[in-house]
Amino acid sequence: MTINANVEASTEGEEQRITVQRTSKHRLILRRFCRNRQAVVGVVIVVLMVLYSIFAKYLTQWDYDEPDFTALKEAPSAEHWLGTDNVGGDLFVLNARGLGRSLMIGFIASIGITVIAAFVGTAIAYVEGIWEKAGTWVLDMMLVIPTFFLLAIMVSAASGTSGWIWLTFALMIFGWIGYARVLRSIAQSLRDREYVAAARYMGVKPLTILWRHMIPNLGSILIIHTVLGVVYAVEAETGLSFIGFGITPPDTSLGVLIKAGAASLQTAPWIFLTPALLLLALCYSMTKIGDGLRDALDPSSESGGKA
Amino acid sequence: MLKFIVGRFVSYAVMLFIATSGVYFLASWFLDPRSNYLAMRPQPPIESINASLDYANINDQTPILERYWNWLTGVVLRWDWGYSPVGEPVSEIIWDRAWVSVQLVTISTVLAVVIGIAVGVRSAIRKYSAFDHTSNSISVLFLVMPSFVLALLVVLIYLELQATFDLHWFAVTGLGDGTFLSYVQHLFLPTLVLTLLGYVGFHLTQRTYLLDTMNADYVRTARAKGIPKNVAIRRHALRTSMIPTAYGIAFSITGTVTGALFVEQIFAINGAGLYFIETLSKNDINGAVSVAFLGGVATCAGLLLADIFVAILDPRIRIS
Amino acid sequence: MTTTFTANQGEPLLRANKPVLSVKDLTVSYGSEAGPVRAVRGLSFDLMPGQTLGIAGESGSGKSATSLAIMGLLPDSAVVGGSVQLGSRELLGLNDKEMSSVRGRDMSMIFQDPLSALTPVFTIGQQIAEALDTHQNLTRDQVRKRSLELLDLVGISEPEKRLKAYPHQFSGGMRQRVMIAIAIANDPKVIIADEPTTALDVTIQAQVLDVLKKAQRETGAGVVMITHDLGVVANMADDVLVMYAGKPVEYGSVDQVFEKPNMPYTMGLLAAVPRPDRSTSGPLIPIEGNPPSPVNLPPGCPFAPRCPIAIDECTTAEPALVSHGDSELHRAACIRADKIVAEGLTFNDVYPMPEIPDRQQLLPREQRDSVLQVTDLKRHFELSSGMLRRKVGTVRAVDGVTIDIRQGETLALVGESGCGKTSTLLEIMQLKKPMNGKIVLMGRDVSELNNAQRRKIRSDLQIVFQDPMAALDPRMPVYDVIAEPLHAQGWKKDAINERISDLMDLVGLNPDHVDRFPEQFSGGQRQRIGIARALAVEPALVVLDEPVSALDVSIQAGVINLLESLQARLGVSFLFVAHDLSVVRHVADRVAVMYLGRIVEIGDVERIYTNPRHPYTAALLSAAPVPDPTVERQRERIMLTGELPSSTERISGCRFRTRCPKYKMLDDADRTVCDTEEPDLISEGAIDQQRACHFPM
Repeated sequence: MTINANVEASTEGEEQRITVQRTSKHRLILRRFCRNRQAVVGVVIVVLMVLYSIFAKYLTQWDYDEPDFTALKEAPSAEHWLGTDNVGGDLFVLNARGLGRSLMIGFIASIGITVIAAFVGTAIAYVEGIWEKAGTWVLDMMLVIPTFFLLAIMVSAASGTSGWIWLTFALMIFGWIGYARVLRSIAQSLRDREYVAAARYMGVKPLTILWRHMIPNLGSILIIHTVLGVVYAVEAETGLSFIGFGITPPDTSLGVLIKAGAASLQTAPWIFLTPALLLLALCYSMTKIGDGLRDALDPSSESGGKA
Repeated sequence: MLKFIVGRFVSYAVMLFIATSGVYFLASWFLDPRSNYLAMRPQPPIESINASLDYANINDQTPILERYWNWLTGVVLRWDWGYSPVGEPVSEIIWDRAWVSVQLVTISTVLAVVIGIAVGVRSAIRKYSAFDHTSNSISVLFLVMPSFVLALLVVLIYLELQATFDLHWFAVTGLGDGTFLSYVQHLFLPTLVLTLLGYVGFHLTQRTYLLDTMNADYVRTARAKGIPKNVAIRRHALRTSMIPTAYGIAFSITGTVTGALFVEQIFAINGAGLYFIETLSKNDINGAVSVAFLGGVATCAGLLLADIFVAILDPRIRIS
Repeated sequence: MTTTFTANQGEPLLRANKPVLSVKDLTVSYGSEAGPVRAVRGLSFDLMPGQTLGIAGESGSGKSATSLAIMGLLPDSAVVGGSVQLGSRELLGLNDKEMSSVRGRDMSMIFQDPLSALTPVFTIGQQIAEALDTHQNLTRDQVRKRSLELLDLVGISEPEKRLKAYPHQFSGGMRQRVMIAIAIANDPKVIIADEPTTALDVTIQAQVLDVLKKAQRETGAGVVMITHDLGVVANMADDVLVMYAGKPVEYGSVDQVFEKPNMPYTMGLLAAVPRPDRSTSGPLIPIEGNPPSPVNLPPGCPFAPRCPIAIDECTTAEPALVSHGDSELHRAACIRADKIVAEGLTFNDVYPMPEIPDRQQLLPREQRDSVLQVTDLKRHFELSSGMLRRKVGTVRAVDGVTIDIRQGETLALVGESGCGKTSTLLEIMQLKKPMNGKIVLMGRDVSELNNAQRRKIRSDLQIVFQDPMAALDPRMPVYDVIAEPLHAQGWKKDAINERISDLMDLVGLNPDHVDRFPEQFSGGQRQRIGIARALAVEPALVVLDEPVSALDVSIQAGVINLLESLQARLGVSFLFVAHDLSVVRHVADRVAVMYLGRIVEIGDVERIYTNPRHPYTAALLSAAPVPDPTVERQRERIMLTGELPSSTERISGCRFRTRCPKYKMLDDADRTVCDTEEPDLISEGAIDQQRACHFPM
């Protein structure tokens, strides 16, 4: 045991140096994130938006299903803070409701997409060889037809108030393919890491390797993708609703509101502008948060999370 | 190199075939042309509904594989893309409409690539300059802006300008009366929208990749030879950094095609995108599939273009 | 061409009259997340024309920052201070344009990684021409002529054809030759070579160093040779400067520094590495601890925390680089150096000798159990291309390998990259029926195992990887890392707990640290974790895939000692794959030399090192640099010509004959034998040494 004593002495010295160097990892990430002012502003905006979508209806006397027939297409005023639409609906509460719906769809779909993409992407990377090639080919094949077309076909028939669930589902079904493709190429480098080989040689089962080694090591990328995925899902949802296929009245979303606004673009621009600005602010904030997270979690790569 | 390109071409053709077939099944599953007739008042007799649906080969009571086979043989043998629920032949409508969209997408993609790469290179070489900051902020704005919001904003701003200054330079609906001037006037704003949507990706990726390659060992080697930094970057980093950007062309075209759908709707251009929206609201399975196929063709064309560019740029692919 | 200088080995700094490059008090610092990094903290030297200065140091010692600072190639964010004079011209403070007229013409540089140093989208010819055109006004014909001349000078055959080739069509060694050609294109006065051979195999390294010497003779340039490999310094340099934590700690002629190091760090570096030309039996003597971080350096001598003879004074002020009496020109930055010089202390007086338990008295080899038996193992890869998967060639990665490992012994598998040693390993680790041949582990033929049995038998075969960072999942605490094989073998939780505590102890880590993540440990400690993981399930055989080559020299010795003591205590067998011949000599009992998928010589390590019979083994051994200038100067190297043949090429008869020095000396009749008959492994008499050669050395 003499060698042990010897080595341990050195170990102590090394440890000391390393503990001193090491400030808390989470604090470091937080500090790096906070250094990015736009990202912090993004967080504030998103939080405000969530609060607005929840609490707006308590702030005014109007309700989304009680139109004010005395005020059709009125510009913003003390009575109707953001104006009214062409049937007298109060835009302050309508926007809150539409925003809430869009946020809900965006977040749920994005999380679902990330989960599916992470599993499929890493699994394809893990199998290697001919199966990996085949899997990648199938992913490419599924991306050949623009995804938006497929989405439109799938949701064009759905309608009614439960339509949003169907839409969210459709966004997940078609949204993961592109991410899976990106994640596969990143997971490919993980697969070639020696710790994956080590686990394999220890007799660890493939699913366990995926779950314990590959997906956790995609961690920061998955977080970033979830945030940016919200932008994707919200844009797809509003786009579909805009051309009349996603959310349909009586349910509402930012897309539905923008569609309504587009009809009176010149005569009553506020009907278009208020939901459009909310949509822009949401997408912009989420993108900035995503950028901030990327810089904070993965300072070495400038392009790591880009599709 | 030719062998490489031909190989890719074959692969894309197979992809396109399978994907289009998939869309056929998807559309047959989700679109319900029978409901068009059932909603009619007075409702036509069941027999005549079935007859109409059978004529268009979209009767949900016929086994799906049989319909698929009929459709497939029609497309492959006679280039016949079937009929709409009311019996109009899809092939008679789609090609004219596709041509309109092809012009839109092609012009704006070319512009987007040129502008995007130019801005990207300039902002990478002058990293952190005023130009870099401004172009970045503008691009991020366009990056997050959904296409229909951008299109509507462009329309709104133009109409305001027109009202204020009484200028009638451009038009915001349709494609004009056929003269070249009117064509340009009508095409300008839609193309502007699609270009703005498309250039962003090229700007940001080109900037990132050039920044990455600027620090590459071989740029340092070039500088060690005595080449000034900026020359070394232009000569050695630029070309390699364009390789990943070239790969971006493929999926940028997909984005532009999707954008064209909104642009055509908002500017009332009778292109394939608008046709797609129409077919969906009419439960026109065959029409929808044909537009989806065109979208696929556009993506494959983009993929193939990307392959060709990469092969030209990269000797490792060219000589293998 | 300028005058050719001949190296004489007299007093180093008095030779020529005027230095061609003079560096005074150079400092480099730049900002980082953790604070300002002082990469170089005051470096001075003079370089005479035609002379070579070796700058030696471990990673993080500031040697690369030095080279880039001299060339003016550091990023703008780096702050450079002091003075760099080329001839009489001050270089610091020149702008990029002014520096560009100096770079490549008066001063050029060769970088470490030849694979990434050439622009992939331009031909070799274009890249050489660019170097010429930048500084000279030549016609196309002149450029072409000079390019061919340069390629010829650096030993690239068929230069006409090669000018039109792209870098990816060249091997690493050839690319480094091209880099040298570019560096000497304009007859520079100074060539800076930053680890020019670190990425290359040992026989290619010998070739490239040779080319570099030739290039220096042709141009008469002064060379700054930056390397971590003291053998390379001993081979190339006239003077040597040892750097530690951004500062020179010892400076003198190679003979002075290598013979009588004044500074404990230099002593440690020289003695911590085993030597390929000497047999060593005892333990290596490691330098404890790790180099300090350049961000927050301790006050005083930066080496003091690791120095066995440090006194209190050492931690108060940093000593200056001064002479300590043996020669005016031999300087060291050490307070204790006076004592060392005065009393003539050597390494053994300064460093305590670690103890390693004696190996159990083993039975003679033949009577011990066989742990692993591999017979005629083959692994071929089909190369195909195009849509229709047309076969374009076969890579014979492993082509008939037979090895046999007995209980408690270490077999080393050596060879250059592409020789098939990694493929052999992977094939064994798969534990599946091989393409050809037989793998028998602990008496069981692996081709007869079902999946459950295969998982079970994995407890007898474990692996330790090269890169200790890559081999440990960064998201897992050490506990989970080490527990993984135990879980896979179905151990119970309590048993695992106990076992992990034992294992941490066994490899010299504090068992309380099991909740830490790998990144909280240093490189050497991580490798210990990897070893603990491999030993967790009490394997009979551990495959060690280059276990120390990613570690700094001063850390290597500790890990090697650990491996030896573990073997002595546990009786485990090792299959040790390495390219470092000196480590192999120290660690292994038997050695197998591989070339192009086959073993060309196998047997007792001492026998083979002292009396190699196969010409390839002999060439390999003679190419390994020895950290001793006297030995290096007297050595006759067996240079191998050319590169490793392409892996798809099929060579009839003996596959080494295309590069064999012996083959060239044979007459036609003998050559026919080599051309047609593939030699088998045979031995002469009952000795443990077999070689596959018709005409052994």
